[in-house]
Amino acid sequence: MDRNQLSKWIKQPGKMGHKYSLWAVYFCTGCGIIEVPPVITSRWDAERFGVMAAPSPRHANLFMITGYVSLKTLKAIIRTYELMPEPKYTVAFGSCPINGGMYWDSYNTIKHLDKYIPIDGWIAGCMPRPEAIFIGVTKLWMMIEKGAATGYVRYRENYEYYRKNQEKVLGKLEWPPLYPLGEKG
Amino acid sequence: MMGKEIEREIKILFSDAVIDSTEKNRLKIRIKKDLAIYLLEFLKSRGFNYLVAISCVDWIKEGEFELVYQIGKIDDPLRIMVKTRISRDRAEFKSAINVYKNAQTYEREIHELFGIRFEGNPRLIPLFLENWNDIPPFRKDFDTRKYVKETFEGIPTLEESK
Repeated sequence: MDRNQLSKWIKQPGKMGHKYSLWAVYFCTGCGIIEVPPVITSRWDAERFGVMAAPSPRHANLFMITGYVSLKTLKAIIRTYELMPEPKYTVAFGSCPINGGMYWDSYNTIKHLDKYIPIDGWIAGCMPRPEAIFIGVTKLWMMIEKGAATGYVRYRENYEYYRKNQEKVLGKLEWPPLYPLGEKG
Repeated sequence: MMGKEIEREIKILFSDAVIDSTEKNRLKIRIKKDLAIYLLEFLKSRGFNYLVAISCVDWIKEGEFELVYQIGKIDDPLRIMVKTRISRDRAEFKSAINVYKNAQTYEREIHELFGIRFEGNPRLIPLFLENWNDIPPFRKDFDTRKYVKETFEGIPTLEESK
């Protein structure tokens, strides 16, 4: 603990403890999951940064979406994201969640992930190296510090928009809406 | 050589099969669709009990689908490819599931992506696609760019929708 951070630890211990121990859902999404075992094992140790793989989505607060998202995976990602307790952060790896990437003209992958679940940070690459993943984690710390990592608040306030887009590509969803629809205005 | 023996036996039993054996360890047999399953049974009885894959080619200009069965033996480098053509408008065929049990998944994939019905396969349910209501996507008259424009690119981002 640095001495110049001591005042922050005393004034906001919850936020500081939150920042420095992000538990990641171990959901192996796409092709980018090949980069995650080197990151969380001893060579490029992620536990120096406080990031650990959580045993269940109910215990997690960081969701790493590594790589392309096909429609079958999107269903599982939405269910896992809605299981996580708030506050939660999502980071998207690679160029496929940003604009489709290599699968820009594929009939089975989605092109921009922020239209379906809220994303806080994007990391460029195909796949990003472990060093780039750690730079992403430190930028996420700075965003949490300033209060700018508000993806889950955006999800709660615009739930109708997200649910409409989810139903457009996936058809009728089997699970009920997470927040009540049609209450504003 | 094993390849030469099999070639001779097939020529005797199936007289109108066209066999191409110019490459080493590769035997390509073209046969009519009514006799294809019998040829597979004959090959299995000769010891070729490993179905590597079933694949499909869309010959749209000729109006036909071509099914390719790749057969092999575990300890033998010889690979046999049995090719048949079926009509594109009435796309149905008999399933190879009584000869090779692992044909079930390959036929399921071809049914989903090309639209060919296999009689006798009990599990022709979707494998990869979710909520699909267009023509089978691997056919050559499916326009994938147009489908992507209509389904995915028409959705506005959060800032644009406000």
